[in-house]
Amino acid sequence: MQIRRVVIIAGLLLGSVASAQTTLTVISHDSFEVDKALVAAFEKANAARVRFVKAGDAGELLNRLILTRRAPLADVVYGIDNSLLPRARAAGVLDAYRSPALKAVPAAYRMDEANGTTLLNTVDYGVVAFNYDRAWFQKAGLALPKTLDDLKNPAYAKLTVVSSPATSSPGLAFLLASVNQYGEAGAWNWWRMARAGGMKVTRGWSDAYYKEFTRNGGKFPIVLSYASSPAAEVFYAEGFNAAKLTQQSPTGNLFLPGSTFLQLEGVGVLKGAKQPALARAFVDFMLSGGVQADIPTRMWIYPAVAGTPLNPVFKFAEQPKTAPIKPALLANPQRLIDGWVTNVLRR
Amino acid sequence: MALLLALPLGRTLAEGGVQLGVWRDPYFVGRLGWTLGQALGTAAVALAVGGPLAYLLSRWDVPGRAAFLRFLLLPFVTPTLVAVLGLTALLGPQGWITRLTGIDLSDGPGLLLLGNLFFNLPVMIRLAHAGFSRVPPNLIGAARSLGASGWKAAWTVALPLALPGLAAGFILVFLYSALSFGLPLTLGGERYSTLEVEIYTLTAYQLRLPEASALIVGQLLLTGAATWAYVALTRGGAGISGRGLVPARGGTRAVIWLLMGGVSLICFGPLLAVVARSVLTSSGLSFSAWEAVLSNAETWALVGNTLRFGVLALIGAVTLGGLHALAAWRARGPVSRVLDGLSLLPLMVSPVSLAVGYLLAYPALSATLPLLIGAYTLLGMPLVTRSLLPALRALPPRTLEAARTLGAGSWTVWRTVTFPLTLPALRGGAALALATVLGEFGATLVLTRPEWATLSTGLYDRLGRPGERNLTEACALATLLLVLAVLAFTLLDGGEGEVT
Repeated sequence: MQIRRVVIIAGLLLGSVASAQTTLTVISHDSFEVDKALVAAFEKANAARVRFVKAGDAGELLNRLILTRRAPLADVVYGIDNSLLPRARAAGVLDAYRSPALKAVPAAYRMDEANGTTLLNTVDYGVVAFNYDRAWFQKAGLALPKTLDDLKNPAYAKLTVVSSPATSSPGLAFLLASVNQYGEAGAWNWWRMARAGGMKVTRGWSDAYYKEFTRNGGKFPIVLSYASSPAAEVFYAEGFNAAKLTQQSPTGNLFLPGSTFLQLEGVGVLKGAKQPALARAFVDFMLSGGVQADIPTRMWIYPAVAGTPLNPVFKFAEQPKTAPIKPALLANPQRLIDGWVTNVLRR
Repeated sequence: MALLLALPLGRTLAEGGVQLGVWRDPYFVGRLGWTLGQALGTAAVALAVGGPLAYLLSRWDVPGRAAFLRFLLLPFVTPTLVAVLGLTALLGPQGWITRLTGIDLSDGPGLLLLGNLFFNLPVMIRLAHAGFSRVPPNLIGAARSLGASGWKAAWTVALPLALPGLAAGFILVFLYSALSFGLPLTLGGERYSTLEVEIYTLTAYQLRLPEASALIVGQLLLTGAATWAYVALTRGGAGISGRGLVPARGGTRAVIWLLMGGVSLICFGPLLAVVARSVLTSSGLSFSAWEAVLSNAETWALVGNTLRFGVLALIGAVTLGGLHALAAWRARGPVSRVLDGLSLLPLMVSPVSLAVGYLLAYPALSATLPLLIGAYTLLGMPLVTRSLLPALRALPPRTLEAARTLGAGSWTVWRTVTFPLTLPALRGGAALALATVLGEFGATLVLTRPEWATLSTGLYDRLGRPGERNLTEACALATLLLVLAVLAFTLLDGGEGEVT
């Protein structure tokens, strides 16, 4: 068995042989990141080691949890959002736990269940929204679209790139917003017209943003992204200086009524966790002050706990008034995705 | 193989059952047609361009030949998204070449096919080159002295003898293009998605395993047929590794340079574009992304991990691939053929279905080191076997017999004759395997952990956030990966100059 020999050598070289210390396994989507120093402090306080596993985007993450629910991959999960929660609940992958720290999260952002239990504790929220390339619109001398109806017309549809609802979470968020706005039949109609008018659908967010958006060499000056993206554009610009902020971000938010979606991301304990107590401690940790303050400029989303300070660069990100999504839509988003695939994509 | 391949795949198929009805859907039949079409097209173009170039390079020397062959490994280490960034920088809607020529390829399948060639021309050229290198030069010389023209000698003598190498190249390119995943995922959009992309969507996003399983079965039949054809074509090997290159002159030299130029444009152009993007920002030339990347301690951890995993997987791939090649060489008749075909098995299986199978079969191992290294080993192994086996078969039996009659024991024969004669092929295969592993983006297999981040996961992390800085830093990390790869290949290929 050569494999075994390789494994032994590997173990020796990397010293990865499991130590006697307790290990907490945290599974998350790929975008999860937290300050290493904070994690080290958590490890010290709980006398445990934290192991992180990344499992693709939020949708993939949930599917993996469902596939492996008989032998859970981890103890605690971060990154399931309000659009995926119903599926997680139906599949029974989460155990109820309500962190005491959830008191500091405004009620509008909580994901409490009707029966008073909590499966997911909201850690942060983001707003999925269209962004536009300021320079492009200035140069073209074109007015910005004002409504979602404008956007489906060829004049604007051919300037727009979105990521697919079937394979990306911002895409799904926008699909929910569009069904919320138009109803199912109306939404299919909107999508079909926009696609016929030249709207591009990519697989994932980075294809849309880094390949098709005009700011990065593409030909679409309107892109589906997040309300905080313009702030990130300033933060990551050449020669960024927090003390001397520029006048304007090179990109702007395009809050067409009915186009935005409030995404709540949460942390929860997995059913069958080997370390349930540690898992609960990690849930509390994610809602603690240090992690909350670290979140905005690391993951470009808003901390859920009220009163958490924000980096000044967030003045370039506006927070729109987001129309509440009808709860019925959130009950089974997969049905809507399937509907979108048959009624829009494969038409 | 059973543990790493058959069991996980079986688990995937067993989880949902197989719902063959999905093949009655014209949508999926269309996807199958496109998958076949783009793979055959890529393989045909690669053969038409790479075949002649490989022949010329196996016979004549031009300045820059060795470096060209070595740099051809670079596309292997290039993560898909980096290749896509490079291609878009050149040929996207606002690409440098697009602006120059006014031709915009970004709407059709043009970019996808160019991307396929970027990754696959090197496979074709290197395998065909290995095939032609084993054609004894004196055979061609004899044909010439009997009055055959250069073309005729190439066509009637060199081609039949090099057929195994050419066929290997053609079929590998076909398999790689048919099963490629990242490229059609990013460049194909929804209109040019392949079966592999559909399998991914059905399993990872829609959790429709029965339908995905039906697609997996169809795909296995397809790749199985290709493998069968390959084994049938490459039975037996020929000739001794030939040496003695003649400097090219006049017309031959011009043709070689023309072909090398064309291939370089496709295979190195996008890479140069990525390097350029790491220093060209919206405010002009700037090295600040480089300063940031090089002064960050995390970058060195990424480099360290990339090297460590590369070396570990290399050990695994060379051991397993080498033993496999030896077994297939020593065995006789049908056993040998079966072993030969089995070495291609890792290429026949869809990586996506395998990843799901790993999860189902070994949930406790997820994100453990053995699984990571096991998967990497599996990726690199076929390349070692494919390089080594033809070289072993080309060993002149008389040399081995002579050594035996002179009293050498089997171990001595192995040490003094077999090993030195096949070492160049082994090194070539090892270089290919290492290249594949260095560029592999492990997160797709659910196998990474933050402290295991490699250069490729590091750059994907940056590309997951908006902002120019993230883009230029990702390009700088990609450049670092390329530099590392060039160093590794120079070490592996050594001063021998024989690059398989």
